[in-house]
Amino acid sequence: MTLSGSRPLIEMRDVRKSFGTYEVLKGISLSVNDGSVVCIIGPSGSGKSTVLRCINGLIPINSGTIRVGDFAVETLKSDKALIPLRHQVSMVFQQYNLFPHRTVMQNLTMAPIQVLGEDPRKVRDRAAALLAKVRLTGKENAYPGELSGGQQQRVAIARALAMEPRVILFDEVTAALDPEMVSEVLGVVRDLARDGMTCVLVTHEMRFAEEVADEVFFTDRGVIVEHGPPATLFKSPSDPRLKDFLDKVL
Amino acid sequence: MSLDFSWLSDSLYQRWLLTGIGTTLLMSLLGILLMMVFGIIGAIFLHFRTPVLGTITTILVELFRNTPPLVQLFFLYFMLSSLGLSLTDPATGRSIPLFSGFTCAVLSLGLYNGALAVEIIRSGLIAVPAQTVEGARSLGYTRFQTFRHVELPIGLRLSMPAMTNNVVSLIKTSSQAALVAVADIMYGATQIMVETFRNLEVMLLIWLLYVVIASLAVWILRRITILFRIPGYGVDRP
Repeated sequence: MTLSGSRPLIEMRDVRKSFGTYEVLKGISLSVNDGSVVCIIGPSGSGKSTVLRCINGLIPINSGTIRVGDFAVETLKSDKALIPLRHQVSMVFQQYNLFPHRTVMQNLTMAPIQVLGEDPRKVRDRAAALLAKVRLTGKENAYPGELSGGQQQRVAIARALAMEPRVILFDEVTAALDPEMVSEVLGVVRDLARDGMTCVLVTHEMRFAEEVADEVFFTDRGVIVEHGPPATLFKSPSDPRLKDFLDKVL
Repeated sequence: MSLDFSWLSDSLYQRWLLTGIGTTLLMSLLGILLMMVFGIIGAIFLHFRTPVLGTITTILVELFRNTPPLVQLFFLYFMLSSLGLSLTDPATGRSIPLFSGFTCAVLSLGLYNGALAVEIIRSGLIAVPAQTVEGARSLGYTRFQTFRHVELPIGLRLSMPAMTNNVVSLIKTSSQAALVAVADIMYGATQIMVETFRNLEVMLLIWLLYVVIASLAVWILRRITILFRIPGYGVDRP
C-alpha cells in the first residue's frame, strides 16, 4: 500500500514480547505511512499499549524488528542511542504523565532544552505558539495539579509537539477523562491529524477512530486479528472476534 | 524546694552557655549538611542498584542505623585518634589531632542520621509515580537526567516530613558531643552544675534551650516545605 518510491514511516515485523512467562505480543506486524492516522483497537490486555511502548523503545522486545524512519529500534540499547529516536517519536499517555513540580511552560520547554540542547529562547517561543494551538494561552505559569484533566492532557499533547516529532503515539489519551473533557482533547488530536501529523492511537473511542483513522488495527490476545480502512473494519468485520468486540463496545 | 537561678547572672556562665549554643548550632548545621550529602549519595546507589556500591551502602546503612550513636561517636573518636593522624600547628609547633572531638561529632552525626536519611530519601524516590518517570523517559531523558530533573526534586519534597523528624533527632543527638569534650550546650551545662550544684535549675534551662532550638528547626523546615510545595499535588495544605 506504499506510494511508489516511499516506504512506511513505521514498520514492525513479527514483534514478540514476553513479560516473564506471559507472552503479550505474539508476532505483531504493522506499518504506518508518513502523515497517516492509525488506530489500534481491541480488548483490554490484548497488547495495544505494549505495541506503542515498543515503537519508541520504552519496552525492549524479545524478537522481530521495528523500524522508525532510519532507526532500527530493537538495536538501540543505551539511553544516549535512544535520544534521536525519542526526538522523532513523542508519546501522550492516559495519565498525562506531566511533571507535577514544573509549570505548564516548563513542562513544554524542559526536554527540548535539557535533552535536545536547543536555545531556550527559541523553545519558549515555540512553546507559547503550541499552547495557543491547544487553546491554553494564559496557563503558562500554572502547575499541572491546578488544571482539569482535559487541560492537563492538552498540555501533554503540546509537550509532545514541542519535541517537533515526526510521529506521536497516543495511549488511550481520553480514558481517564470526564465525558465533557473528552471532546476538547479529541478536538486537538483531530486538528493534528488534519495538519498531517503522523499519529498512532490506541483508543476506545470507536466513533473517533472511525472518523479520523486512515487504517484501523484490531488486536486480540497479542496478535493483529484484522486490519483495514475504518469503513470496512467497522461496517463489515469478517473475523468473529472483531464482530464480538464491536457488538460489545458500539 | 525552691529554685535558684541567680547563677544565670554570672557573666562566665553566660559566656559558657552562649558559646555552647553557638557550638551546638554549628555542629548541627554541619551535621545536617553531611547527613544530606550521605543521604542523597546513598539513595542514588540504592536507587540505581549500583552493583558494588549499592551493597556497601546497604551494609553501612544497617551498621549505622542499628548501633547506638554514642557507641559510634566513641568508636570514631578513639579509632581516629589512635590512627595518629595529626597536624603540626605552625604557630606553636605542637601536634594537634586532625580529627578533633568536634570533627568526630559532626562526622558521627552525619553518618548516623545520614544512614536514616538514605532510607527516607529512598522512600521518597519510590513514591514518585512511575507514570511521571515514564513521561520523562519518553522525552529522551537518560536514567540519570530523569533522576536529577524529575525523581530527586519530587522525591525530596515527598520526604520532607520524615526528614524534619530526622533533623530534630540529629539536633538532640548532638548533645552527646559533650562526652568527647566538645564545648556545646550540654558541656557548658555540666561545667556549671559542677561549680554551682544547681543541677535541677541548669537542666531545666538546658531542656528549654533544646526545645527552642528544635522548634526553630522545625519551623524553618516547615517554611522550606511550604516554599517548595507543588501546587495542586498530593495533600495541598497551607
